[in-house]
Amino acid sequence: MDAAEYLDLLLKALLLAGVYAAMAVGMTVVYGVMKIVNLAHAGFLMLGAYFALELFQHFHIDPIFGAVLALPVFFLFGMAVHWLLVRWLPKSDTPTLASLLLMFGFWLVLQNIGYAAWGNEDQSILTPLTLSSVHIGETISISKVNLVVFAAAVFCMIVLQIVFHRSWFGRSMRALIQNPYAAQIVGVDDQRTSRMTFGLGTAFAGFAGALLGMLYSFAPDFGTRPPFLLRSFVIIVLGGLESVSGVALGAVVLAILETFSTMIPFPWYWHGWKWHYLPPSYQTVVPFALLVVVLVIMPKGLAGLFNRKWKAA
Amino acid sequence: MNRPSGVGGWLQLILPWLLLSALLLLPVGHPSDNVIRLLFLTAVWTTTSLGWNLLGGMAGQASFGFAVFFGLGAYTTALLMQYGHSPYFGFIGGAAIAMLASFFIGLPTFRLRGPYFVIATIGVTEAVRVIMNNLEITGGASGYRIIEDKPFNPLEHYYTAIAAVALAVLVSTIIANSKFGLALRAIKQDQDAAADLGVNPYTSKLWIHAIAAGLTGIAGGIYARRAAFFYPGDVFAFQTGISILLMPVIGGIGTVWGPVLGGIVFVIVEEQISVKFPNFHLLIYGSLLIIIILLEPDGLLGLLRRLFRLFRSKRDSGSSEADQVFWRRSGA
Repeated sequence: MDAAEYLDLLLKALLLAGVYAAMAVGMTVVYGVMKIVNLAHAGFLMLGAYFALELFQHFHIDPIFGAVLALPVFFLFGMAVHWLLVRWLPKSDTPTLASLLLMFGFWLVLQNIGYAAWGNEDQSILTPLTLSSVHIGETISISKVNLVVFAAAVFCMIVLQIVFHRSWFGRSMRALIQNPYAAQIVGVDDQRTSRMTFGLGTAFAGFAGALLGMLYSFAPDFGTRPPFLLRSFVIIVLGGLESVSGVALGAVVLAILETFSTMIPFPWYWHGWKWHYLPPSYQTVVPFALLVVVLVIMPKGLAGLFNRKWKAA
Repeated sequence: MNRPSGVGGWLQLILPWLLLSALLLLPVGHPSDNVIRLLFLTAVWTTTSLGWNLLGGMAGQASFGFAVFFGLGAYTTALLMQYGHSPYFGFIGGAAIAMLASFFIGLPTFRLRGPYFVIATIGVTEAVRVIMNNLEITGGASGYRIIEDKPFNPLEHYYTAIAAVALAVLVSTIIANSKFGLALRAIKQDQDAAADLGVNPYTSKLWIHAIAAGLTGIAGGIYARRAAFFYPGDVFAFQTGISILLMPVIGGIGTVWGPVLGGIVFVIVEEQISVKFPNFHLLIYGSLLIIIILLEPDGLLGLLRRLFRLFRSKRDSGSSEADQVFWRRSGA
């Protein structure tokens, strides 16, 4: 392989990272503020994809606008879910099993609603953009839909970053992430901020689901069958669980590792310990293995690793 | 063992034996094959449920990854039978391999706490499934078939499953009433405090993980022998791990009889209700889970207990000592 092909793959990995970041960021804010590992995230991704599909099929709304429309709709939906279910959970500084199982139960319900409404066959959103691509030189070709999706994802991440750092709501979210008790003492409304955070997390899940729906085919078990839920876990764990910029970093690392995993030679046992490439069928193991390794070696994520170094220096 | 006291205490002592003799004597009445099949499935799933409960309920380390042990039990039993060993040797082999795997999984992941451990187990179970889907000696994704020379005897399968569930109940009861069980409960409530009092949380978790894995591996082997055909998308599925976790949660986490109750409810839902409403079984599980978590975290057993207390307090105000002993002994 020559340099241009590597560059092509690297570009594709970076474009993928943008969508991954949008996908994981909703999970990270919910975890940060409420310490809930949101397993229902996969269900929201799935609903987002179908939301864009329905708008596209019935009202001929471009899925990119569908994704943007998903933001307010899923924001309200998330607030409703919080009001109905999540707020009854006992409060805790660390994630509880109860919260995990509650969100898992809700995911099952969402999945079943998906099956009841749309059946179990794979769907995909095909627009004129899907099959056209941009060529740079001879080897580099990038699908236009990937570019558009990447742009939308990055734009929304920037908006989120501004909300996070420039608004009163963002400031209360950050306060709750850093120290929930101190935040309440200085007058942050815990319940209201939690509700809006859950809405925000759900909104981003719906948005990212619509974007992913433009790139991949989906069924109601979306989130497990391309394992986007686990990829989100890997990303937020890599990012140190609580920061938006950490998520961007985690997404880039995961996307690059996944893309290049089949090109790293390993000494394989059944090749007599000779160096061989990872067979492509094992490529899906990479995020799972990475998840376990990262959790064990650096539970505070990449950012935590850097922080420790900086503090030591 | 404490001496039983009061009606509740005696009931607690006698009921399991009555249940066991009823199950052993049942085939005398020539029940239909379907009844035997349902009881077989209940026994197998209850064994896994009791296994999960040892780690998840008593020690408080919820794992989403028990499908790994179930699947390893199934494949080990099948491979050993393929090489001409007795199926019973296969079950023991399955348990041994599952226990070995539990150490491999536990050694790194028990350094993590609470949710990090849970997420790690999800990663492990998915990785194992992908690997088994691609492994050539077990036939990969297309599955594995067990061929036995003997004619199919449902009663033999039934009795093996009953023996397994009896073993699981026995192990659970012994652990619940032992010092080790107390150590596990201390870890569940506050790991640091338990460590200060001389419990080693890391090794205790490793051992209970191994025991739980062994029971689940046996159940996997028994299931595989009767099913005769299985594939990684079935025994190693994320859904299998979820089912194993749902049962104790439905029945009542951390008790001995809760997981049994959960196993019974699970098979009824799976085999009877799901058949009538095939499009809504996820909805049923999901809503059951949500209702239990929000309204009755102690599961169906907790609900029964609350009803019983209500009934008692109407008859004589305040609960008697015998009543309290009854519930304390049942392992809550």
